[in-house]
Amino acid sequence: MIRFEDVTKTYKGSSITALRDVNVDIERGEFVFLVGSSGSGKTTLLKLLLREELADSGSIWVAGRDIGKLSKWRVPELRRNLGCVFQDFRLLPNKTVTENVAFALEVIGRPKNQIRAQVPQVLDLVGLGQKGERFPDELSGGEQQRVAVARAFVNRPLVLLADEPTGNLDPATSIGIMKLLDRINRTGTTVVMATHDVGIVDAMRRRVIELDRGHVVRDQARGVYGYGDDLPSSSRGVPAVAIGSSWSGEDSGEESLSAGRVAAVRARRGAR
Amino acid sequence: MAIPLDYVARETASNLWRNRVMALAGIAIVAVSLALVGTALVLRQSVARQIVALGDNVNVQIFVQASASGGELSAIRMLIHQTPQIKSCGYLDHQQSYQRMRSLFADEPTVAGVLTPATTPPVFECDLINPNDAPVVKSVFVGVPGVFSVSYPQAAVRSWQRLANIAQTICLVMAIVLLVCSLVLILNAIRMAIFSRRREIGVMKLVGATNWFIRVPFMLEGLVQGLLGSMVAVLFVLLANLGVHSLLGSSGMTSQVQPGSSTLLSPSNLPAGQLFTTEAIILVIGLIVGVAGSSVAVRRFLDV
Ligand SMILES: Nc1ncnc2c1ncn2[C@@H]1O[C@H](COP(=O)(O)OP(=O)(O)OP(=O)(O)O)[C@@H](O)[C@H]1O
Ligand SMILES: [Mg+2]
Repeated sequence: MIRFEDVTKTYKGSSITALRDVNVDIERGEFVFLVGSSGSGKTTLLKLLLREELADSGSIWVAGRDIGKLSKWRVPELRRNLGCVFQDFRLLPNKTVTENVAFALEVIGRPKNQIRAQVPQVLDLVGLGQKGERFPDELSGGEQQRVAVARAFVNRPLVLLADEPTGNLDPATSIGIMKLLDRINRTGTTVVMATHDVGIVDAMRRRVIELDRGHVVRDQARGVYGYGDDLPSSSRGVPAVAIGSSWSGEDSGEESLSAGRVAAVRARRGAR
Repeated sequence: MAIPLDYVARETASNLWRNRVMALAGIAIVAVSLALVGTALVLRQSVARQIVALGDNVNVQIFVQASASGGELSAIRMLIHQTPQIKSCGYLDHQQSYQRMRSLFADEPTVAGVLTPATTPPVFECDLINPNDAPVVKSVFVGVPGVFSVSYPQAAVRSWQRLANIAQTICLVMAIVLLVCSLVLILNAIRMAIFSRRREIGVMKLVGATNWFIRVPFMLEGLVQGLLGSMVAVLFVLLANLGVHSLLGSSGMTSQVQPGSSTLLSPSNLPAGQLFTTEAIILVIGLIVGVAGSSVAVRRFLDV
């Protein structure tokens, strides 16, 4: 679905190489965390995928196409296959929830009846079926992020890119968003998420790609946020399958269980 | 890909409304500059029309009294032959002169109605070797028995044409300066619209809207400004054209018009065909300015 081949990127006027010789292969339907300290190149990697930036060398493939060779007028076509969610939501404040989601379909020329059908559907999916007429500033941060996810997903993209989607949210709300992304991933959508959220990464045990100053230093299936540092072995010993299943659990009991687990990991990290 | 009309109309209208002060300024300047363009064009066409009406090789007109006798007429003919400055002369009798006057005053039925063949003076229309000798020729014929009046309308037309040319040039220069101003104003209005919509534009790019989809509402905004401005100018030219005519009519100027030079000096309204062309030119320039302003703004400030 996504392949980076020896990709190197240096921003114009910058002496730092944002990405260096990156080789990554992501299959259809995978859920991938991008981790790494600030400035390690996570956002750059996502921008290259969106073709907001061009790689200096190497090639990037999305859905079988070399996007570096894409002519400018075909970039919109690429972006229609990539949904995007950001830390700051990027909703339009003068539009209601429904209008915000509909906007994404409207501006790619989708017919009205399709918009009318798909928008309520996706709002139900993100749990905002009753709040379609609200404006973004009448919603909590978590709800706003749900709207952003709905907007990113309404066109059923092949890939959902998320850049620190829980960066502005409290732990409990973050879990809600992660459940949503997990559900979207289960529909077959590939999810690539850059994050600093240790608790989430450690609890979900999905593939983790770690960047350090532009290099891929780790690519681990069912990984955790950081290597065998001082995480208590009990925590690392938690079987990934068990936690993974708890994420998909719909009943409130399991929800609070996983919330407690994430909070516990966060607390241990913070105390370090 | 088709761009839905209602979407474009809505976006354009809301852009214009958000920046209404800027938009109005742009529209006003377009209107003023195009009104000047219109004035210049009307001046040009009315002068050209009068030259055509007279014919190019008539330097001096010698009007004979309607009551002149045959003897007086042949004495005048004789004198024409003896005047070295005159190259050749044509003679229009009562009937021919009457026809000519009627066609000259075709636009002014009050004048045309007063004329009859019997009261219309016959006229010698003379071509001079040197058109500048017209005053000399006039002095030869003034006071000759049977001569009603002598005029050299072309000279008058020429001097009026010079004046009109100057006015025209001033109008055009001002119009060009103002058109450049309006282009900049429209450009700036679109730039502000783009700026105030940067969030929407960001989202549109992200979800894969095409460049044209993003650009068209802004392009249309400029086009609407140009169109509204030029429509005001079109209305101005239309009213001015009617106004000149009715003003002349009501002031009784036309009834005092003498045969000869002064008819040619009176501004008259344009016939429908020329008016239509002028208005069309104004509209096209307005649209071009609007589209050019917004294209530049979109190219420079809407980096897609
Ligand atoms: N537009 C830009 N121009 C120049 N340099 C940039 C630009 N964007 C990022 N960089 C540099 O590229 C490097 C990687 O930045 P990037 O934003 O990808 O990091 P990140 O991993 O997303 O960091 P964070 O976790 O803080 O979001 C950094 O050194 C940064 O300074
Ligand atoms: Mg970043």
